[in-house]
Amino acid sequence: MRLDNLKSSKYSNLRTSVVNSFFALVFSLVLGAIFISITGYSPFETYKAIFWLSFSTIKGFALTLSQATPLMFTGISFAIAYKVKMINTGAEGQLYAGAMAAALVGAYVTNIPGIVHIPLAMFVAFIAGGIIAGLVAIAKIYTGASEIILTLMLNNVIILFTSFLANGPLKPEGSGIGQTERIAESAELMRLVPQTQLTIALLIVIALAIIIQYMLDRTVFGYEIKVTGNNRKAAEVAGINVSKISILTFALSGAVAGMGGAAMVLGVNYRFIEGFSSGYGFAGISIAALAAYSPFGVIPAAFMIGILRAGTITLSRTTSIPIEFVDVIQVLVIIFVAAPAMIRQILNLFKKITGKNKKKEIAGGEVQ
Amino acid sequence: MEIVRMEKITKVYPGTVALKNVNFTLNEGEILSLLGENGAGKSTLMKILYGMTEPTSGDVYYRGEPIDFRRPVDAIEKGICMVHQHFMLVPAFTVTENIIAGSEPGKNGFVDMKEARKVVKDLISQFKFNIDPDTKVENLSVGEQQRVEILKVLYRKADIIILDEPTAVLTPQEVDDLFIILRRLRAEGKSIIIITHKLKETIALADRVMILRDGELIRDDVDPSEVSTNELSEMMVGREVDLQERHPAKNIGEVALRVSGLTVEEDGKKKVNNVSFEVKAGEILGIAGVEGNGQTQLIEALTGLRRVNSMELLLNGEKISGTSNKFLRAGIAHVPEDRTSMGLVKEMSIKYNLILGYHREDDCCDSRGILKRKDIEEKGNRLKTQFLIKAPSVDAKIEELSGGNQQKVVIARAFSHDPKAIIIAHPTRGVDVGAMEYIHQQMIELRDKGAAILLISADLDEVKTLSDRLLVMFEGEIVSETMPGKLSDIEMGLLMTGGRSMIEGEL
Amino acid sequence: MMIDVDMALIISILASTLRRTVPLLLAATGGSFSMRAGVIDLGLEGMMLAGSFFSIMGTWLTGSLWIGLLFGVVSGVLFSMLHAVMHINYKVNGSISGMAVNLLAAAMTPLLLTIVYGLSGKSEIVESFSNFDPDWLMNIPFIGPILASQNAIFFIAIALVIISWIFMFKTTFGLRMRMVGENPHAASAVGLNVKGYKYFGVAMSGALAGLGGAYLSLGQMGMFVKDMTAGRGYIAVVINAFGRYNPFGALAGSAFFGFFDALQTIFQSVLPSQLVMMTPYVVTILVIVFGLKGGRAPAGTGKHVED
Repeated sequence: MRLDNLKSSKYSNLRTSVVNSFFALVFSLVLGAIFISITGYSPFETYKAIFWLSFSTIKGFALTLSQATPLMFTGISFAIAYKVKMINTGAEGQLYAGAMAAALVGAYVTNIPGIVHIPLAMFVAFIAGGIIAGLVAIAKIYTGASEIILTLMLNNVIILFTSFLANGPLKPEGSGIGQTERIAESAELMRLVPQTQLTIALLIVIALAIIIQYMLDRTVFGYEIKVTGNNRKAAEVAGINVSKISILTFALSGAVAGMGGAAMVLGVNYRFIEGFSSGYGFAGISIAALAAYSPFGVIPAAFMIGILRAGTITLSRTTSIPIEFVDVIQVLVIIFVAAPAMIRQILNLFKKITGKNKKKEIAGGEVQ
Repeated sequence: MEIVRMEKITKVYPGTVALKNVNFTLNEGEILSLLGENGAGKSTLMKILYGMTEPTSGDVYYRGEPIDFRRPVDAIEKGICMVHQHFMLVPAFTVTENIIAGSEPGKNGFVDMKEARKVVKDLISQFKFNIDPDTKVENLSVGEQQRVEILKVLYRKADIIILDEPTAVLTPQEVDDLFIILRRLRAEGKSIIIITHKLKETIALADRVMILRDGELIRDDVDPSEVSTNELSEMMVGREVDLQERHPAKNIGEVALRVSGLTVEEDGKKKVNNVSFEVKAGEILGIAGVEGNGQTQLIEALTGLRRVNSMELLLNGEKISGTSNKFLRAGIAHVPEDRTSMGLVKEMSIKYNLILGYHREDDCCDSRGILKRKDIEEKGNRLKTQFLIKAPSVDAKIEELSGGNQQKVVIARAFSHDPKAIIIAHPTRGVDVGAMEYIHQQMIELRDKGAAILLISADLDEVKTLSDRLLVMFEGEIVSETMPGKLSDIEMGLLMTGGRSMIEGEL
Repeated sequence: MMIDVDMALIISILASTLRRTVPLLLAATGGSFSMRAGVIDLGLEGMMLAGSFFSIMGTWLTGSLWIGLLFGVVSGVLFSMLHAVMHINYKVNGSISGMAVNLLAAAMTPLLLTIVYGLSGKSEIVESFSNFDPDWLMNIPFIGPILASQNAIFFIAIALVIISWIFMFKTTFGLRMRMVGENPHAASAVGLNVKGYKYFGVAMSGALAGLGGAYLSLGQMGMFVKDMTAGRGYIAVVINAFGRYNPFGALAGSAFFGFFDALQTIFQSVLPSQLVMMTPYVVTILVIVFGLKGGRAPAGTGKHVED
């Protein structure tokens, strides 16, 4: 548990990250318990119920995984961009762009078999997200504009613009809400568990995580990404085209988020619906942090947040525990992961307090 | 009259003992030179006096009374001030603002700029500093910036002035000017400590020399008028060293690197102006010059890191242009001026740093762009042994290595890939004498194997010792070509600061 | 007759411009304190959002507008302290800690809405600041009606801009704070408490952004709506860079953005609302990409001094 004097080798780095993320999650849940208490429920019982919902039934487990799926896309998205030390706060917008692109391909490109239709829709979404993020990266590289503010502003622009499309030119006749035409059956993703929203999107995103992790660890491209992220000047001196690597990496980050949007359209909603994302983009930041910015680590990290999300969604139907509670937990995770020293200090403080309590217990043990 | 006394100072950092039982005294109105290699403990000792760090054990007395400085402010209040090696100035502020910030004249919380300007003007004229109090510091030369630093100290009414490596960035003329100023300050009764490893300057300036080695006090009573530089360097290093010994080239070959018509413009100014030269195989060509006279732009142009306005670069008769990747591929290696920020990725392992820049070659990756991890590991181990890199394994991260070993990784990488030509910038900046000797020896070996070496260094002694031929650069132009040893330091200094016509007249 | 209508329209647009300028101006001026002290001001959005929510809650709890306003300012400061602690003490990248503040406010305000009001998406309506419209002011042609449709916070904001400028550029404290922002090592070397000045700068950004947020809720509608700031905090970050981290620069920049914002009302009847609502974001993007050339953030931004 000592976080400080771990050194060098790969495995101890991994261990540091895991220990760090574990405590970040635990502390966030502890602080989250305060909010549950305010609503008048027992935090312990609530957490137990949330956990139980995910593991007691196959449907519950499937719900957890299906909740985790879009988070895996956005988590991987944030993690990739962070490898070149760029911050992609635009996953939300890229997700919407990808969803709209997939919805268009799904609804208007017809009469082709699923084996072509699905990859085509996914690919178009990939490109849509990629182009948007790529443009941001180009603006950042050539004008020094902050990619954070650019992507945040673009989120608003894209969400409003797709909403305009879904309420205007693309709205099916007689529809009450802003949405597009239903996609063709050939574009629907196969379900892994019947009557749930768990589809092969999960397998796609896991495969994606493995491929990207392999690319980072074993290829020249991944090597150049890591060098660029850690020391841009040294990368330049080493003949690496830093601008190209940054733009490509950031575009890839946006592309993966775009695919996440496609997964929502092709597997869950079967059309673009305005406001369909419940904060998947920003949840991705939290998940990437929890995964210590490892694309593969995103899979278990998203699963854990998925447990919370699925459980809270189910609970919020019968209790007054609001869904927003998970959003707060996610932010707390980001805060704790970002400041490992904070975790260490809290642990030390905790040790001191428990140390003192033990003494008290010994002294006044019989009083109670 | 003794003003400061430090007794039995010991300072332990995790893993190392920086100072062992060191005694120190400073007298009123003297210039004391604190001499030692990097890591000898001289900076730590001064940090203790200045309140930047506390000793593990030992006592400090100021005018006989014990003191315990916790922060530099405590020291400043007693009149102990420091001129840091890296200037503590705000480039966007004026000279006046820089000097007064922290102890401003004025009342009710408002700054009295009128009064401030007057006080600063008076100080400038009192010490004949010749600086405009209203210029922004970013527009001043390095020497002038140093004078602002000294003004800051004088404004705070310092009695004791500590100067950390004050001549490192100065031209020979600026060094002379600084010495004049320091002697003037001594005449006013101020006590001055200079932290340095430059022997000649110590002998020229100091009243007394104190030598530290490996955290221990070697001598504190050396009279500089009675010792030679060689004796001083022996005391400092603990063994005989001769960094001045020349190893002339034995087999100079054909022209390997030919540069013609190199011009680089930056912000509308010509930073490098129509420079042409050639380096032959088996030769070291040195470029001497005061920093900021276009060397950085020259290096960047010759390594493909910067777009140039015009240049024709031929390597063994073949024209090379384009990106830094093209230059590296063609066989022009580069030892960058700042190794940690430009040459290494400190978060990555030694073995992956040893292939940096050469990672696209066949021995590192296959045709599909997959890294050959086994080969990279083997190569790492081979170079680690060959270049005596001290580290637990090639998987250790660069940040775990000492400065000297980090530099060895850079050298190992550049030297082991059979460069036809190599651009080496400030190879020994910030390394100790031992590492310096090693690096010089490696450079000479590489040269004798037939590489063409271009050496750019601000250290005049280094350029003079290593080069087979010398160019002097001033304001982006090559102002002179000479052989090492032909011109005196004073003459070189004049050339480096634009005194071309004077020298040419004499030649 | 035509002229009359046009005049009225111009007056209404200008009055609306001023109203839309105020929250941006307060946040951007706050941001200039933070940036001048060398801490990135990316957390303005969250501080504003907190100010919007808690000012309503303060008034809801106490029934007093001014105490509500104070709640807004204090909550802005409290949220800014998260940024300060993470960045200044734990040396977390300022962009990350700033985003943490934004995300926390974005997550916490809806949660508290649900917990406190049992409503999702908006709060109950409370009193709000009324316009400052004495008769003598209305009688001044042109300027009178424009100023008369402003409330007390507008005048406070203008006063704060002037005071902030004097503070930053004329006082000892301001000079020292700027020194910390430009070169913390130099500041530390002359004995300044670097962390203290940074904390001060961040706290000021929280206070002013909180006030700006309060203007949006308490100063206009008298209620809080989820995501009420809608990116104004980020726009303020851009305005601050645009205005060279100077309160008067912030004033000019905010007026520019406020004007574009006010123009929306004209296009509302012609264009679909989503497209109209995109305007400020599109303008912001254009400004970031093309309008910030030659600007320079204080040289010491994000730099720490070792203890």
